[in-house]
Amino acid sequence: MVLFDQVIREVKGTVLAMPQARALVSGPEAPWQPGGNRNIVLKEDVGLELGGPECESLSCVLWTNDLSLVSDGAITLAGPDFSECMGEQRPFARIVLAGVEGFTEDNACERHTELDLVRYDLDLKGFMIRAVSRRMNEWCRISRSALRDGFSAQVLGSSLMGLMGRKPYVRSLEMLFVTSCAGDVARLKDLTSHTARVIAAMSKMAGEMSFDCGECEYQDVCDDATDLKKMRKSIMRKGRR
Amino acid sequence: MQQTRTIALCGKGGVGKTSLCSLMVTELARGRRGRILAIDADPASGLAQSLGVRPIKSVDDIRKDLVAKLKGGEALTPKETLHALDYELFDALAEGDGFALLSIGRPEDEGCFCRVNSLLKDIIEDLAGNFDYVLIDGEAGVEQINRRVMKRVEHLILVSDTSAKGIGVANTIAKVANDSRAVDFRSLGLVLNRVRSADEAGEIGRRTALKLYGWLGEDELIRDYDFRGSPLTGMPDTSASVSMVRDILGKMNLLA
Repeated sequence: MVLFDQVIREVKGTVLAMPQARALVSGPEAPWQPGGNRNIVLKEDVGLELGGPECESLSCVLWTNDLSLVSDGAITLAGPDFSECMGEQRPFARIVLAGVEGFTEDNACERHTELDLVRYDLDLKGFMIRAVSRRMNEWCRISRSALRDGFSAQVLGSSLMGLMGRKPYVRSLEMLFVTSCAGDVARLKDLTSHTARVIAAMSKMAGEMSFDCGECEYQDVCDDATDLKKMRKSIMRKGRR
Repeated sequence: MQQTRTIALCGKGGVGKTSLCSLMVTELARGRRGRILAIDADPASGLAQSLGVRPIKSVDDIRKDLVAKLKGGEALTPKETLHALDYELFDALAEGDGFALLSIGRPEDEGCFCRVNSLLKDIIEDLAGNFDYVLIDGEAGVEQINRRVMKRVEHLILVSDTSAKGIGVANTIAKVANDSRAVDFRSLGLVLNRVRSADEAGEIGRRTALKLYGWLGEDELIRDYDFRGSPLTGMPDTSASVSMVRDILGKMNLLA
């Protein structure tokens, strides 16, 4: 499936061209202490807030069957690392590029959701995450003590890659972080706005049994994307059985 | 990390539940005794104002928004819904000095979505598990606590002034709570408010079978703060009411 191939090229090109972009050393899954049952960071403990409700925020998983589009293990950060902005609220983008295998019109939606939900399995002491998939935003808080202990984009990226890499259909993973400025995050949001509609259309198809495309708000998206058309046909076939 | 201690306050309207709840939150926060979540479950109360914070939205606003989306045909998977609600609920927290406040808002209107309410209650319980103390400023009856906030509390505090009517309502609530077990609780007791003397408190204590956790006197300072609309979080540590609240918390073993 090639649903996200073009946007992957554009997003990756944009982030790598940002003046502050730098490659982080990715390593094995970072051995960060788990937070246990308590997964919130309250204002009085916050060292850094990323992508909060009043800031630009973007989070998405873009997958491709073309493994050449993903530099496995690479973590790129455009902007200051977490410990460099103690006490701040910053805009935030986190984009995962996943090289996958075996995605078809029958399983793509379910697998996409699985990858998207992996973030909620993160259990890192001093790190809190809240997100709304449909809005493609992500609100993170990192406690002062976690920042002092060295919590960084590398720790977050490696931890997420570790969890996502356990999915049997994931072959390679690349992580892009942006903390530079609202404008940079907004540019990426523009680039991925169509992606949001593609994902919403996919979810709607998977969740509904109505095929009255004339009434659907995602008709334009489906008409443009061959893979979505295939997906719709597959679901309709199953519906008739 | 200690287990969450949950305290719910119920009683007739106007007896001072909100003031007592605010003073308890303030005292626990001053002592830096852990994370404190105050839940305003009484649509008629002003716990937020009393604690000097301004929630930007209530749980009911979140519920209405979600119901509107569902009615509008938005296809959300259960997990998406759960995480979206979790985000909104955290955004609804008004964070003060040493505590956070969650406002439940007005009761559901007709045609409510029970599934959504049930989901919200689960998320509130989950959120509450992140705190060391949860104090719920409730309505008169205990059913609302169960229906709109959570099913299990450690202490159920019935608040009353010295009027026979107030005590009568407290006795009725206690009976309903014991008979129906609308809310699971480990202990239930009475706190009297606007008491003129220890003798008066003792006299009332003898007339009711309820366990007396303690009492607060008539306090001109609270009246003055209320009159000016000032948050009770600013009450001096040395005031009589703050001192009485400290005693009550100690008696309930909440300072341990």
